Amino acid sequence: MTVSDQPIVTTAALTKAYGSVIALDTVDLSIPRSAIGLLGANGAGKSTLIKLLLGLIAPTGGTATMLGMDIRSDVIRIRERVGYMPESDCLPMDVTAADFVGHMAEMSGLPGRDARQRANDVLYQVGVDEERYRLIRGFSTGMKQRVKLAQAIVHDPELVFLDEPTNGMDPQGRDDMLNLINRIHRQLGITVIVSSHLLEDIERVCDYVVMVDRGKLVVNGRINDLMQGGGDVIVRIDGDPQRLVDGLAARQLSARLSGPEVIVAAPDGGVSDAVYDAIRDAVVEMDAPLRMLRGRERSLEDVYIQTVGEMVAAEDVVAANGQ
Amino acid sequence: MVSNQPPATTPAQPYGEIYDLGYKHYDGKRLGRSHAIRALIVYSIKRGLGIKKKWTAKIIPLILYAIAFIPAFIVAGIKAFVPSDDFTYSYHDLNDFIFLTLFIFAAALGPEMLSDDRRENVLGLYFSRALTRLDYLLAKIAAMGLLLGTIAFGPPLLLFIANVLLADNPITYFFDHIGDLGRIAAYGTLASAYLGAISLAIAAYTNRKGVAGAIFIGGILMITGIANALFQALDSGIGDYIILVDPFDLVVALSAWIWSEPTNMDMADLPGIAYGLAVLATVGLSAVLMYRRYLADE
Repeated sequence: MTVSDQPIVTTAALTKAYGSVIALDTVDLSIPRSAIGLLGANGAGKSTLIKLLLGLIAPTGGTATMLGMDIRSDVIRIRERVGYMPESDCLPMDVTAADFVGHMAEMSGLPGRDARQRANDVLYQVGVDEERYRLIRGFSTGMKQRVKLAQAIVHDPELVFLDEPTNGMDPQGRDDMLNLINRIHRQLGITVIVSSHLLEDIERVCDYVVMVDRGKLVVNGRINDLMQGGGDVIVRIDGDPQRLVDGLAARQLSARLSGPEVIVAAPDGGVSDAVYDAIRDAVVEMDAPLRMLRGRERSLEDVYIQTVGEMVAAEDVVAANGQ
Repeated sequence: MVSNQPPATTPAQPYGEIYDLGYKHYDGKRLGRSHAIRALIVYSIKRGLGIKKKWTAKIIPLILYAIAFIPAFIVAGIKAFVPSDDFTYSYHDLNDFIFLTLFIFAAALGPEMLSDDRRENVLGLYFSRALTRLDYLLAKIAAMGLLLGTIAFGPPLLLFIANVLLADNPITYFFDHIGDLGRIAAYGTLASAYLGAISLAIAAYTNRKGVAGAIFIGGILMITGIANALFQALDSGIGDYIILVDPFDLVVALSAWIWSEPTNMDMADLPGIAYGLAVLATVGLSAVLMYRRYLADE
């Protein structure tokens, strides 16, 4: 196994509890070097997982390794090779961007002259050029996010954690930030772990996804693999859509109404030609003009809703049996 | 013979090209944790002195250095140009100015060292790098100590040097009074540690610099007032020990003990070692408070 084949993060029964509140519950993970999305609702445990891996908080139980090193015993060596962009505001106000990023480079062990040079280069790369000599106090949210990104990569880490990197940004700024993240991974070969509650962001920049919900690991895999399997089929006709739903039910196809459209759920084997044939036959039987027939790709949202839904249903069954 | 042919030209060379090299990997030196600690000390000292900050941030340190050093210069000048046996100005006398300056400087420096990093959430960035929480705290304490040390040691050392140079026989004077250097070091270290530790402990729990400074100054003045009132109200015995929690009188008594001078205070005269132990106990308590704030959850 070469270095690039080795998982960059592994966890075994990793747990973090704050008193009776369990923020992360026996998480087992093995993440390859890639662009990784850490997905979950606010409070799902994403930031807790990042802070545990960085050694910012101590786990209540379980073990984890990062870059092949133990997060408890090798924490300093790990941090030398890792960058971190927190979700919250974390920049001093009365310092220039160049001074601050240079200072952070020195905090990662770079000599003073190199640190200043790297700070200027990296700030330029993230789009903070002339403004780098201005106090951070006067920066927009987008500029601050860029400075946060710059300090995370100024020491040339192997792995960088980006916690909600597009938080509070306008559409253009968000687009720029996602492009930057793409560059960091694809051009520079830095592994990125992007934490977000925005599925579109993850879909756009990541190859691999880890989903957490209420402290538990829900999904862990390559996005392409997860999105395989047919999505739904959307049908629109001139006529009574409920009649079409009934007609599809008679052909063993599950369908539901969504406004004027009929959403035909993909059967277990995916959407085959037979499904399209059945829809065609149902529409012909109604003698209604067909206005639209298109397949809908399975999205991360479908994966998330399906898996979280299954998990909640399973918990309900367990709870019901326990009563 | 001169040829009429035009000289052979080399292929056109571009005058210059601009390359966007993009982000580059860093392959220079990595000096590790010890460099990070040193860099944090230097950075914190610069912040404490107002370097790379607006001019108003530089005023307080400048005024304080002036207050601390001017008396020593004046005394040295008087001794040099208007020598008189009647003029006696001891290191203990100088310590009044030094303590006042240290008191105000500590009030400004402690919050400068710790409060901003807490309020602005910069700590997460420090602790995600090659720096432990203890490293961070020790670097801040070192920066505070070095800055307070310039005031605690500078003026008496200046006076000592003036005394040596103005003596009839400087070499004999130096060796006869070499013990003064130890006393200067002892007082400077204890007074800086005492005020610095209290200020840092308060700043560790207060995110606003102004509030932390006000708590430090107000708290010490209030305790001094209460201690004096209690001393007047209580009988000697328990009342004698009030001085140990009265910051102003404690440090004056400490200086008197170190320099073997009378305290000239209303307060009781305890054995000198008691003052030293009271200072160390306060420093220890402050260290415990800082430990609880920064290190207990590591």
